[in-house]
Amino acid sequence: MSQRDLVAELRAAHVEAPPEVRERVRLIAADAPAPPRRITWRRALVVVVPVAAAIAATIVFTRPAKQHPSVLELNTPATIAPNVGASIDRAAKALTVPSPKGRVQTYDATLSLRVEHSRDVSDGVKQALRITTSLGGFSQSVHAETHGSSAVADLKLRIPRSRVQEAMAKLSQLGTITDENVSTVDQTALLNNTDREIARLQKQLAILRTEPQSPDSDRKIAALVKRIETLQRGEATTRRNAHFATVNLHLGTPLVTVVQKHKHGPLHGVGVALTWLGIGAVYALAIGTPVAVLLVLTWLGVRVVRRRRENALLEL
Amino acid sequence: MSDTRDRDKPSTGGVQHEEMTFQQAAEAHLDDVYGYLSWFTSDRFAAEDLTAVTFERALRLWHRFDPDRGSVRTWLCQVARTVALDHFRSERRRVRREELAAPPEAIDFRFAEGLSPDLESALARLTPGEREVVALRILLDLDAGAAARILGISPTNCTTRLNRALKKLEEALHVAA
Repeated sequence: MSQRDLVAELRAAHVEAPPEVRERVRLIAADAPAPPRRITWRRALVVVVPVAAAIAATIVFTRPAKQHPSVLELNTPATIAPNVGASIDRAAKALTVPSPKGRVQTYDATLSLRVEHSRDVSDGVKQALRITTSLGGFSQSVHAETHGSSAVADLKLRIPRSRVQEAMAKLSQLGTITDENVSTVDQTALLNNTDREIARLQKQLAILRTEPQSPDSDRKIAALVKRIETLQRGEATTRRNAHFATVNLHLGTPLVTVVQKHKHGPLHGVGVALTWLGIGAVYALAIGTPVAVLLVLTWLGVRVVRRRRENALLEL
Repeated sequence: MSDTRDRDKPSTGGVQHEEMTFQQAAEAHLDDVYGYLSWFTSDRFAAEDLTAVTFERALRLWHRFDPDRGSVRTWLCQVARTVALDHFRSERRRVRREELAAPPEAIDFRFAEGLSPDLESALARLTPGEREVVALRILLDLDAGAAARILGISPTNCTTRLNRALKKLEEALHVAA
């Protein structure tokens, strides 16, 4: 008999379990509970992956940004974002306070302008002085400085009160307004009080002069005269000051915004986690490798011994 | 043959396992398990007991069965083999003890219906290990991979073991003729 015939005869053989065995197995299988829904790794992944992604996305996107730009100011009194400049420019005209007729008021204004280049600062200074002079005013102080590509200039201008609105309008065209401040103080009441005080003193002086002269009356007359002169000088100074408005003009190039480069980006946490995972992996490798090798060798040894015993059992 | 081998392929995504309850698996593969064990042990009574034990153990382990790793039949044969090896170990201890008192009785055993007496006696002369591989590869018609997985050896080793067994059978039949 050839090996093919042998295999064919063996294949043709049919082994059927006896009825009593079938019945026993049927009884055993009847005790089987309903199969519970098992959690396979695929099913677990279907749930775990989206949840992990959602958590990661939540952490990354809801993490507060730590990238706050720090602003380095270069002798500028105030900072306003460039896009706000236009609105302030429109508001500038409203900020000019008209001078009421017959009132004496001191007028102080601060105007900060931003220009693009450092050369525009020097041009702006020249134009501001020209405007001031053309309106009958003068510059009280000028201070300008340049730091590389940035430059600033501070001017204190004295402009006739009657033309300050015109001056403010012209000066505001030298650049983009970033800050403006106007303050007026009415001095009329103060001057009226001073006038009344002078009139009262002059009346006293006239009475003293009609009295017979004596050293005491001479001393009083000298004191009253001195007091009247002081009040008159102060009144003249106030009127002169009120005649000229003070405009503090600041010209400067855009702010140098230094964004400190923080090391902490939005994925910094991931980087830290990966770093620690790497460190952990190195330690695990260093400690775990010998243990793993030992375990593998043990497992191989046990397997070989078991295989040999099994072969002996099966007479192979 | 292809139908039989398809049964041993791992199911995709566990659909087959989800559809098959333990009762259905036991009903479908009872003859396979019994045939494997009867050829393996060459003892009908032992095979009957071991089949019952196999299904008892399989019922306990049913929750651990992973359809992605193999078919139900392969898994049941693996369980049956473990049960059979335990039986062989205890049997060897028992035989050793009893051999001291009296020689073991020769059991008249028929492997299957339709086999010639010469082939029956040739099969009886094979070792359990050789009969096991013949049962798996020829009687149950498992492919080399599935049979090797049950035996815990490589497919090449499995094929070598089968060829050796068949050659022994062929020689025994030649001598008998």
